[in-house]
Amino acid sequence: MEQNSYDTEKSIKELIYQSCLLLDEKKFNEYLALCEEDFHYTITAYSPEVRAEMIWMNEDKASLKKLLDVYPRHNSDHAPLSRHTTVYTIDYDDDKKKEASVVSAVQVFKTSLDGGETSLFAVAKFYDTIKLNGDQPRLASRNVRLDTRMLGLGSHIPF
Amino acid sequence: MSRNAEEFKQKPDLPSSHFVDTRIYTDPDIFREEQEKIFKHVWMIACHESELPNPHDYRTYQHPAGANLFLVRGEDMIIRCFYNFCTHRGNTLLYDPSGNAKHITCIFHLWSFDCHGNLTDVTREKEGYQDRLCKEKLSLREVKAEVDFSGVVWVNLDDNCDSLESYIGGALDYLKEELSAEPLEVFHYHRAIVNTNFKLWHDTNSEIYHDFIHYHNRKTGMMQQGYFDRKFHCFPNGHGYLDSMEIRYDAYEGVDGQRKLGWPKAPDACHKFIDLFPGITYNLRSPTFRLDSMIPLGPNKVMIEYRGFAPKSDTPAERKQRIQDYIGIWGPFGRNLHEDLLAVSGQAQALAGVQSHILHAREEGLNSHDEIGMRHFYAEWGRRMGRSASDPYAINPLIP
Repeated sequence: MEQNSYDTEKSIKELIYQSCLLLDEKKFNEYLALCEEDFHYTITAYSPEVRAEMIWMNEDKASLKKLLDVYPRHNSDHAPLSRHTTVYTIDYDDDKKKEASVVSAVQVFKTSLDGGETSLFAVAKFYDTIKLNGDQPRLASRNVRLDTRMLGLGSHIPF
Repeated sequence: MSRNAEEFKQKPDLPSSHFVDTRIYTDPDIFREEQEKIFKHVWMIACHESELPNPHDYRTYQHPAGANLFLVRGEDMIIRCFYNFCTHRGNTLLYDPSGNAKHITCIFHLWSFDCHGNLTDVTREKEGYQDRLCKEKLSLREVKAEVDFSGVVWVNLDDNCDSLESYIGGALDYLKEELSAEPLEVFHYHRAIVNTNFKLWHDTNSEIYHDFIHYHNRKTGMMQQGYFDRKFHCFPNGHGYLDSMEIRYDAYEGVDGQRKLGWPKAPDACHKFIDLFPGITYNLRSPTFRLDSMIPLGPNKVMIEYRGFAPKSDTPAERKQRIQDYIGIWGPFGRNLHEDLLAVSGQAQALAGVQSHILHAREEGLNSHDEIGMRHFYAEWGRRMGRSASDPYAINPLIP
């Protein structure tokens, strides 16, 4: 990518926001198209109860695709999720700007099926690694670091 | 033909053990009675010993009967349990869910207690109480605690309760070899608060007929040989277990089917589970083991604690595999747990305001889809509540 800083930053933010919009709309293949082939997705949290780091989801691109492909065969809560994200920091690897580490705040809202109530489902941060050496920035890894560890029914769709 | 309101209330033409009145799941008075008659007298799981490995390590626990407790390991390595309650003015002593405290000191006025429950220090004692204070009479309220063969820590609020061994009987023998083969530790812990009645969650853990909801289980279990050969075994006090079978993980396309890792002393790809009254489930699906324990919060609200266990001796590669298997099925983003919770929350939604009956009536020679597990649970429920769950408002109950 040969862009000035402003354009690079803008395209990084658009990638992150787009990733949320696509998952909100359950457009899984389009979401995966934003990711590098060696994409790695994790959801992690720390449990003060057992004083241990925990992994709650750990997938590469192929395994994530398998899970999302079989999603329609499962029984799932269809109450829509809305991911609200704010990019906090963008750090580049070096002057060549081939890679960026991005931290974003995330709130996931759930709206009941009748549209009658929207509640905060989870608070988290995205820790993303983004490759910048192609035509467009692409997600190389995403760690969803959860603050909220009580997720009620849970979810078949990642954040 | 559909039914009108009066017909909808009529009892089914079945033995009273084969259905329950829906109001046992929704009535606040029945819930309060369950707290008094059941939860104040049964052994409940508070934590695992690996959660407090060192002297002075503590762990808090919200007891289903309403009391807030903490467990602390003494210098003698014994785990004791107390009300989380300062005897001065009733403040919470330990706020964090876990930690280490040589002196258990209340933040309010700095009264201190030791890990035996003794009141050891009263700030400005002489100035305020002169010689009128007897510290021995202001010690903590201790609660019975026992550690079982697998390191699980149990508590019972009833000072006059039977021993844990007597309460469990032989119900855990089915997993004794597997769970005592090696020291265990908790690698996964999460809680879920769900708008449902605690019994509906335990019902789901007690009947496997609901495998129809699980795409994963239909593929890896129900369609496999031996699924219907398993028998449910009943034990005293409402406990029971279902025989094991071999799970065909490779039949599910959503996850890696190659399972090279097993569980110590367990058959390959086995699935063993035990239900303990009134709300505990042991679930060994090799290579991981999950333990559920419930904390009912109201007639339509329950907090479920989920623990995933592994042998402490795991190599990093083994632990990684166990975690991956566990979270794929049973984590908050796993395939099966979400479906189970969706079902029981849907039941609570449907039962709200309804006066009718629901069935526990399948009889299939005690096999996987027989509903003996629920009937066995409600026999014990009726014994403790003094009436049948099919007729919970009986004026002259036949059951003492």
